[in-house]
Amino acid sequence: MGLSCLKKTSSSRPKWRVLTSYVVPWSSSEQLLDEPRVGRAKVIPYLSVTLMVAILTLMFWKIGYAFTLVNLALLYLLPVLVSAVRWGLGSAFYAAGIGVVAFDFFFVPPIHTFTVSDIRYFVSFAVYLAVAAFTASLAAELRKRVRDSRERESVTSALFALSNQVAAARDLDTVLGEIVGHASRTFGLATVIMLPDASGQLTARAQMGLTTVNGFTVVEPRVVSWVFEHGKMAGYGTNTHRNTSILYVPLKTESTVHGVMCIGTQRPLGKDNPHWHIRVVQALAGLAAVSIARVRYEEKAQIAHLTAESERLRTSLLDSISHELRTPLATIIGAVTGLIDGENFLSNADRQELLVTVREGAMRMNRLITNLLGMVRLESGMLQLNKKWCDVADIVGVALRQVKESLQNRKVEVNLQSSLPPAAVDEVLIEQVLVNLMSNAAKYSADGTTIELDVMEYDGVLTIRIRDYGIGIEADDAEKIFEKFYRTDTGKNVPGTGLGLAICKGIIQAHGGEIFARPGEKAGTVITIRLPVGDAPEPILETAEEFSHELID
Amino acid sequence: MGSGPGEHGLKRVPEAYKGAVLMGAKVLIIDDEVQIRKLLRVTLEAHGYSTMEASTGREGVLKTSMDIPDLLILDLGLPDMDGRDVLRQIREWATMPIIVLTVRDDEAGKVYALDNGADDYMTKPFGMSELMARIRVALRHIAQQPDEPIIQVGPLQIDLSRRVVEKNGEPIKLTPIEYDLLKALAINANRVMTHRQLLKQVWGEQGTETAGHYLRVYVGHLRKKIEDNAAQPNLLLTEPGVGYRLVDPN
Repeated sequence: MGLSCLKKTSSSRPKWRVLTSYVVPWSSSEQLLDEPRVGRAKVIPYLSVTLMVAILTLMFWKIGYAFTLVNLALLYLLPVLVSAVRWGLGSAFYAAGIGVVAFDFFFVPPIHTFTVSDIRYFVSFAVYLAVAAFTASLAAELRKRVRDSRERESVTSALFALSNQVAAARDLDTVLGEIVGHASRTFGLATVIMLPDASGQLTARAQMGLTTVNGFTVVEPRVVSWVFEHGKMAGYGTNTHRNTSILYVPLKTESTVHGVMCIGTQRPLGKDNPHWHIRVVQALAGLAAVSIARVRYEEKAQIAHLTAESERLRTSLLDSISHELRTPLATIIGAVTGLIDGENFLSNADRQELLVTVREGAMRMNRLITNLLGMVRLESGMLQLNKKWCDVADIVGVALRQVKESLQNRKVEVNLQSSLPPAAVDEVLIEQVLVNLMSNAAKYSADGTTIELDVMEYDGVLTIRIRDYGIGIEADDAEKIFEKFYRTDTGKNVPGTGLGLAICKGIIQAHGGEIFARPGEKAGTVITIRLPVGDAPEPILETAEEFSHELID
Repeated sequence: MGSGPGEHGLKRVPEAYKGAVLMGAKVLIIDDEVQIRKLLRVTLEAHGYSTMEASTGREGVLKTSMDIPDLLILDLGLPDMDGRDVLRQIREWATMPIIVLTVRDDEAGKVYALDNGADDYMTKPFGMSELMARIRVALRHIAQQPDEPIIQVGPLQIDLSRRVVEKNGEPIKLTPIEYDLLKALAINANRVMTHRQLLKQVWGEQGTETAGHYLRVYVGHLRKKIEDNAAQPNLLLTEPGVGYRLVDPN
């Protein structure tokens, strides 16, 4: 039937394809259902039983004189027991039947006839049959229980392993993939998990058993949405929409229905389909529901965390900016109004001092705005590296020139490794990093102290180290100082926004480098930058020298 | 295209520039911000310049052609048209010095303006004394005698006729390329020279893309010879992302 169906679809487009949204072709591989095995497998027990009885009869025939008839009758119970344990009730009754017939024909006088001389033998036959039936049903029941419990155990341990895997998996698709795979392996049935997508439409999020096209079955969207809405099972084996071979199980935790698991086959499930199969399906659905809920909660927690974090950032941004903007503005407005109002009584020296205050206030605001814009550029991903081959020593020189004024009487010891290779960096941004770091070194150290700046290159990595002998940092703060708006407790009285180092980190990371801080051995702070210099450009140095070997006097 | 600094100065030197230089020179301020125009007007007039103002690019082009100012201060961020277009339109016929005002982080804009005829740039916010110095350099440069054989920049003396460079009276040995580089910078002393301008003047037109590397190397060589401390130069300064500037340290 499946094949003919397939042929139809390949030749002409069947109408039902247009009407249904989900076409689930079935894997026809091993169906682990309790369907009775057909054909050869069904005949084997009866053949074997016949063979056993035949062999017994032959043996008794040859050495029968050693036994009494009662012994023989008891021995004919053996095939019954064996077949009951091995193949179940049917073959056991068959064994009992042919046992009686063989016994009667070969051993009960008159021999070689079915007639029985002594009427008492009929009582024996009846007892024999009763004992055979009784032991056979006992043995068959035992066999079934053993098999059931074995299967149950394997399903349970598989479920256990699955729940472990699911608990370890991080993202929803992996989890659902595992569950669907498991359901499909355990029952040999196609399984689909349908979850509402962004628009609320239920769509297949994970599916298994759809790769082969030996048959088709249809997941009905109508039933899926009914199950999703009502949170109740439907389909095969339930009271709702039972005319289908698919079981629809809601994925439900407490009050929420997260989605629907559909599991089924194109053939009706075996009529003696044990109840525990449904229970395993329910257990799987429960596992899926819990996993989905867990992932959803994690997402929610993540969002809540982010919201709280951005809230915290916004607050500290406002605090920091309002303070950092208002302070210089206050000095500027104060000084300027003082200059305008006090024209008549301010001495030249006073006036000069106020003007210097105005300039410093404005400079400070300029720095703040530069930093804020830098941070915005970094955060918004607008930062574009304009990498060129640069002379790092040159960038250091430019940066030192920039911070000259803020250094006051601090001494800068520059230690450049001779013959530094060119580095592929954005020189404007690296200069900004050095300016920020040098300004920091000056800001957090007393006037007159030394600041050391070392630049060296080894194995394609450029190392820039700036060491000051100022107030230093705690080891705990070493990483935090690169976070936005973070200010150390010791440095709180020094004006600043906590943006400079965050910008440095952003720029260095954009270059594929790293920056870290540590407390100095004796005092102060050591900041280290490590930058990959890139593959050196073509060795033009020598050729350039050849160009100009002739010196001018 | 465009005329780089050091070229247009040689063409036409109005009489007004010579002698008791620059005092009373006419400066056109093209900027849309009233506050900036006011600040520049007050400061420039206090320094003895006369000023004109334009608040849009179109008005700036018009006033340049009508009033022929001696120097232009042009904000690149104008509301009606791109400041770079204003610069190009004016440069098509006018040779007066143009100083552009730019914002930070716009190295590409600076380089474009300089390569297309701007004489120098100022990054907002700037100090007035710096702007005044740039204006003086630009005006002096255009007034300079082109056949002046000896250029003095701080401790450096470059004798163009004898190809001799001295620092504090001591001769310095330079390779031909180093000499050409120093000469290009010295002729435009105190003005910024873009990488492209320097490459063009020292190596000629070809291969300016790859030769950027040469320039960096030769600037390094030159610094070792002319600077007291090559690591912290105070004569041959780098303008990151833009070019180099030979300055008088005093």
